[in-house]
Amino acid sequence: MSVGTRSHKAAKVLERMGTKLNRQMVGSLAACVHCGMCTDACHYVLTNPDDPTYAPAYKADLVRKIFKRHFDWTGRVLPWWVRAKSVFTDEELEELKDTAFGKCTNCRRCSVNCPMGVDFAVVNRMMRGLLVSVGVMPEGVAVVSKDQWEIGNQMGVLKEDYLETLEWLSEELQSELGAEAGIPIDKPDCDVVYAINPREVKYDPRTISDAAKIFCLAGEKWTMPSEGWDMTNFGLFSGDDDLGGAVARRLYEKVTELRGRKLVISECGHGYRSTRCEGPNWAGMDVPFEMESSVITMLRYIREGRIKVDRARNTDAVTFHDSCNNARSCGLTEEPRELINLVATDFREMYPNRAENYCCTGGGGAMSMSEYTPRRLKSARVKADQLAATGARIVVTSCHNCVDGLTDLIRHYHLDMKVTQLVNLVARAAVVELKVAVPAVAKVPAVALPLEGYRILVVDDEADVLAFLSAVLSDNGATVVEASDGDQALDLLKKERFDLMTLDLSMPGKDGGVVFEALRRDPALAALRVCVISGRPELRRLIYERPVTPPEGYLDKPVSDETLLLNVRRILETEHRAS
Amino acid sequence: MSALLHFTEHRLQEVTLVIMAITYTLRIRWLLRFKAGRERQAPTATIGASDAHRKGVAYSWAIIGMPWAMESTRRHRWLYVQFVLFHLGVTAAIVMSFLIPYAPDVLTARPVVPLLQALMAAACLIGCYRFYRRVSDKVMRRISTPDDYFSLALLTVWFFVATLAAPNRPDRGEAPLVVYFVMTAFFLLYVPFSKISHYLYYPFTRYYFGRSMGHRGVYPVRRQAGVAVRQGDRQARSGA
Repeated sequence: MSVGTRSHKAAKVLERMGTKLNRQMVGSLAACVHCGMCTDACHYVLTNPDDPTYAPAYKADLVRKIFKRHFDWTGRVLPWWVRAKSVFTDEELEELKDTAFGKCTNCRRCSVNCPMGVDFAVVNRMMRGLLVSVGVMPEGVAVVSKDQWEIGNQMGVLKEDYLETLEWLSEELQSELGAEAGIPIDKPDCDVVYAINPREVKYDPRTISDAAKIFCLAGEKWTMPSEGWDMTNFGLFSGDDDLGGAVARRLYEKVTELRGRKLVISECGHGYRSTRCEGPNWAGMDVPFEMESSVITMLRYIREGRIKVDRARNTDAVTFHDSCNNARSCGLTEEPRELINLVATDFREMYPNRAENYCCTGGGGAMSMSEYTPRRLKSARVKADQLAATGARIVVTSCHNCVDGLTDLIRHYHLDMKVTQLVNLVARAAVVELKVAVPAVAKVPAVALPLEGYRILVVDDEADVLAFLSAVLSDNGATVVEASDGDQALDLLKKERFDLMTLDLSMPGKDGGVVFEALRRDPALAALRVCVISGRPELRRLIYERPVTPPEGYLDKPVSDETLLLNVRRILETEHRAS
Repeated sequence: MSALLHFTEHRLQEVTLVIMAITYTLRIRWLLRFKAGRERQAPTATIGASDAHRKGVAYSWAIIGMPWAMESTRRHRWLYVQFVLFHLGVTAAIVMSFLIPYAPDVLTARPVVPLLQALMAAACLIGCYRFYRRVSDKVMRRISTPDDYFSLALLTVWFFVATLAAPNRPDRGEAPLVVYFVMTAFFLLYVPFSKISHYLYYPFTRYYFGRSMGHRGVYPVRRQAGVAVRQGDRQARSGA
């Protein structure tokens, strides 16, 4: 086929490949001897033994063929001899997409098992970046990248929501620890600036309050930034170095503006790697302050006696899952273990572990690519077996991505385990020495259910989801009314008063987007608080691209009862935004 | 010694060696034309952070001699043994190509020829097995190129011929020696264009990988020693 028949996108991919090649990359592309030693290092291979297209060498060869055809002498002169092959059509780019995004989590396990030192993960990341640069990517990747470019964080959390959540958590913390506790925002000249994963705001605010509790108990001079607070970086997953650089720079500049002495990065594998390691490279800047993982910070507080812990408060058997990015790309393997042993009584090692651990199978952005979910869950069999063999009840991990990936596979393989993070264990073990005087005769208030007095409309076309959501909410005191489609929901909204509506997006008849816009445009209903609960992140645009006030909450399915309750409470208990 | 044998042992080898050296020089220049990526981040290595990258490089270069260091070599011990024997065979055959023309007396020492022959014969058998594995294993078949097959076949035949040529007895027939030296010359010309040139890249790939992994505290890899790891491997295998 002549060059003239090459599609515009294919031509751009080839043109841009030349700019992505550095010496390390060329070495990895030229040095593979097809020895096959990497093959069973990959969890996809182990669960698909009859499909050679999952083999790391095969996957890397899809990129290597192009490299050889255009940049390597043998491939240029005798392409058939080394199976060098160019790329011509958009269909071929789609096939590359399927492999680069759908058959690899960039976990780097094959890289550390290659005798030649070929770094397969960086090759795959380069391919992702090239595809993203011409718009060939899973829709979830496009949505998340867009959110991080435009809104500033990869989950589209609005600044108001973020600040409201911190305010709510701050109030809760004050009621637990006293008026001096709280979450300072944008306080200059602090010793610690704490940056988090937007998932914590949306799904797991308890990790923020637990971290805040630890900082307060340690007497730390700390703050959280009002902007540039997202330490995650989807550029690592999408291969988009420009996005990677922009996101990292945003955070570095905010810390510099606050004159923070140290940036502490909450427990997140890819966030830690992106911010601590890759960010300065992508941003092309030397960072003028220290950065460390919150795992190291917590460990230091205990070692220095700044917080006291009672490990007897965590007596369940726990195991530790090493995040790929923490262990295989940042060497963070010993500190988490030391910390667990300080705050829990029954730690059981998982095998293999540390840099040899298997991926949670949700890494590399896999959780945002719903089209590959069946593949992901099939490959998760390796991890499920590994977890089950520990005999532990709790799996601890220092990564939000892993929390989601592990939670999903635990549910899928019916394991009797829960996932938690080190910050939760440390906060539970932390000994609080109360400084406030307790009245001699305290009036014991009646125990109220958290959602008592609230009326909630639950809208979902799936009967089991409807039943689950209703059960969780009504068990916690809410009065729940159900609707199984958009029309029914709008009818009910006109007839009855509700404090909140949970809304599915993909429904027969009027979809969630239409219902949502109709609601916001009706002056009588516009102020109703809405929490979207959808299993299709790519449909997020149905909501956020509408010219109306965005919803107060957004949750991805599957959602746990704890996450649902936390988010519903947050929405109901914080001041409703005026549109 | 015939003029043909003399030519193949000397002039042919010298000319092809020079050509190979020039080709390799060009190849390394080509590789060095690509800019090396810079690591700006402060080390995440916690122990000996200031020279962690150097230790990482040393570990990375040495890793091939530490079969316990990588799961792939730990699990596939037979493949690792094959790798060692195969490359010892390569070394033996290359060394022999210098001994015969320039230091033939070394070969008269009693254990030398049998040792070289044993190594090269073992490498030849392993080459046959590797060819079989490449053809029969569906992953290997899928990732193999004509260059992979040809290079392996060529090496395997070369080991066979080298085993026959090792006694260096032209008086008993020059054919094995002539074929051996012609094949050696062909290798010198072909290798820079084939996968066999991987040893040229090895120092680079492992250098950069080791530097990065050392800087980040991943290298040297930390593992729990002894039984626990072996149990883990077994668990992982059964899980697979």
